[in-house]
Amino acid sequence: MSQAAADTQTKKQILNWINKNGILLALILLFVALSVLNQYFLTATNLTNVARQVSINGILAVGMTFVILTAGIDLSIGSIAAICGAVAASLVVGDTAMSPMVAILAGVGVGATLGLINGGLVGYAFLPPFVVTLGMLSVARGTTLIFTDGMPISRLSDEFKFLGQGDVYGLPIPTLIFMAVVIVSWFALKHTVYGRWVYAVGGNPRSARTSGVPVRGVITSVYVIMGALCGLAGLILTARTTAALPQAGVAYELDAIAAVVIGGTSLAGGVGGIGATVIGVLIIGLINNGLDLMGVSSYYQQIIKGSIIVLAVLLDRSRRSHH
Amino acid sequence: MSLRKIGLKVATIAAVSGLMGTSIAAAEEYRIAVPLQGLTAEFMQLWVKGANEHPAVVDGTVNLTVFDGRLDALTQSNHFDTIITQQFDAVIFIPVDAEAGTEPARRALEAGIPVFGSNTLVSDPSVYQAYVGSNDVVAGEVVAQTIIDQLGERKNVVVLEGPIGHSAQIQRAEGIASVVAASEGVNVLAQRTANWSRAEALALMENWLTAYPGQIDGVIAQNDEMALGAIEALRARGVSTDDVPVAGIDGIGDALVAVQEGTMSTTLQDATGQAQGAIDLALRHLVGEGYEPRSPLWETYSDSLSWNGGTESTYMIPWVPVTLDNVEELLARRN
Repeated sequence: MSQAAADTQTKKQILNWINKNGILLALILLFVALSVLNQYFLTATNLTNVARQVSINGILAVGMTFVILTAGIDLSIGSIAAICGAVAASLVVGDTAMSPMVAILAGVGVGATLGLINGGLVGYAFLPPFVVTLGMLSVARGTTLIFTDGMPISRLSDEFKFLGQGDVYGLPIPTLIFMAVVIVSWFALKHTVYGRWVYAVGGNPRSARTSGVPVRGVITSVYVIMGALCGLAGLILTARTTAALPQAGVAYELDAIAAVVIGGTSLAGGVGGIGATVIGVLIIGLINNGLDLMGVSSYYQQIIKGSIIVLAVLLDRSRRSHH
Repeated sequence: MSLRKIGLKVATIAAVSGLMGTSIAAAEEYRIAVPLQGLTAEFMQLWVKGANEHPAVVDGTVNLTVFDGRLDALTQSNHFDTIITQQFDAVIFIPVDAEAGTEPARRALEAGIPVFGSNTLVSDPSVYQAYVGSNDVVAGEVVAQTIIDQLGERKNVVVLEGPIGHSAQIQRAEGIASVVAASEGVNVLAQRTANWSRAEALALMENWLTAYPGQIDGVIAQNDEMALGAIEALRARGVSTDDVPVAGIDGIGDALVAVQEGTMSTTLQDATGQAQGAIDLALRHLVGEGYEPRSPLWETYSDSLSWNGGTESTYMIPWVPVTLDNVEELLARRN
């Protein structure tokens, strides 16, 4: 092989690598840029802050990854998180506070139940997920307002608040929960039959059915998982803000969907994964944190975030067309 | 480096620092963080504008960094993490929610950063070093009295409320209720929330005009946006605001124009006063005894508000009734 040919070969390999790992590269570049631009960014406190701050959106985005892998969407997650948080909070108020474990079970249970309603309507009644979850967005928010009477539920027990504010060996509890969710979900999607089913349903539902995948059940299940994770996120949100607010979680679906899309999971289903979503979550978290540290106006923040979402999809598209 | 290049570089730095809201450091610079509710509200815009006009900000003694809470309590809690990491000298805080705002403020306090409240209280005011606001109960009394004074024989009113549970909603409702109870013959036909929103108030007022045809004699709105929505609904029905008077609270731009046109009444919540007052109190704490307040607000309100050494825990900026006499000047100040 001539020297020139070898050079082109290496060049091609590098380009290939960049194509494949573009989003990871973007994350690393962002991290380095923020470290250089701001003296506070690369401090232990700040990185702990980032780890804590991304966990709620992270948990929601992991659930959203399951849903989007089946070519679905869930717009109701902010509202479901709000009602779960409110139900959980009502159990740990004042002198009659129950154990936080009861609150966790109740919150996650309510979320899973609402997810089951979403999933059943999508999987068995064949309604479009966009419509079903748009309806749930409104129903769950209304229910939250009725349940809370439009007032914050506060005076929560310290044990419950520990869920959002505490830490173990310097690692914030929300971060630990997020990490656990990531590991379990990654394993389920990568190394179990269930995971293969989820990809199969999103990739090609017809051939999935003919090869014996319980398509309806799988579709229903991803919304149940999403709902349960909304419950978890709602609990942490409530514990962090020390009160269940009737307006909590408004528009949280946008950041969760954005994280999944930035990571490279295709809205058409069947392509993507948890690792990609975690990168998406970190990118959004770093943008929020970095721009706050530098005091950039939130008007610019929204433009920057929106542009990055579109750029990520553009990058993804060009990557796919190469193969 | 050529002179032109240097010029370019300076211009870039200026542009970048303008974008980032930081200024070139002065000798004694105090860094004050301002986590506020959300920059989408006109009142918050006026607050920031007023803060930036404080003499100490203009001359660089104080460097303000605004954090937009985007009306989300969690975002605001995250901002406090950032503020504590960056070790600001002081915080001027406008909480999204009174309940959820207490804990982040306490965290700042524990990190040794004094927190000064402006505009909105938190549920545990002891986390505030001092608070500068306006009494919303008084505003409720004023808006109700304004309408009741304009009523004729029949006295049926409707009340447009803010989001239920909002501290301003609760207090303004209290003020309205006390005046209504004290006035003979006043009957509240309906009272509902329109969530501070012009669009929601418009729809609600349309429905009320249908439900109570020809029976509504006055509209009491807990803020100007909703009052303006009600005016639109009346206009669409061909009802003159001379017959059915409308009053709001806050003194936003559109409401001032409406006052000028004679279609509504409002009382101004002085955003500039609340902002500059908080800055003066923060400076008094940072500079120490002997600091003289530099905002013109103490002069303007000298007959009803006193500096008192800057060590009181609460300062209430008076409400300013908007009339044809002062509306011109108030509008001019906006631009």
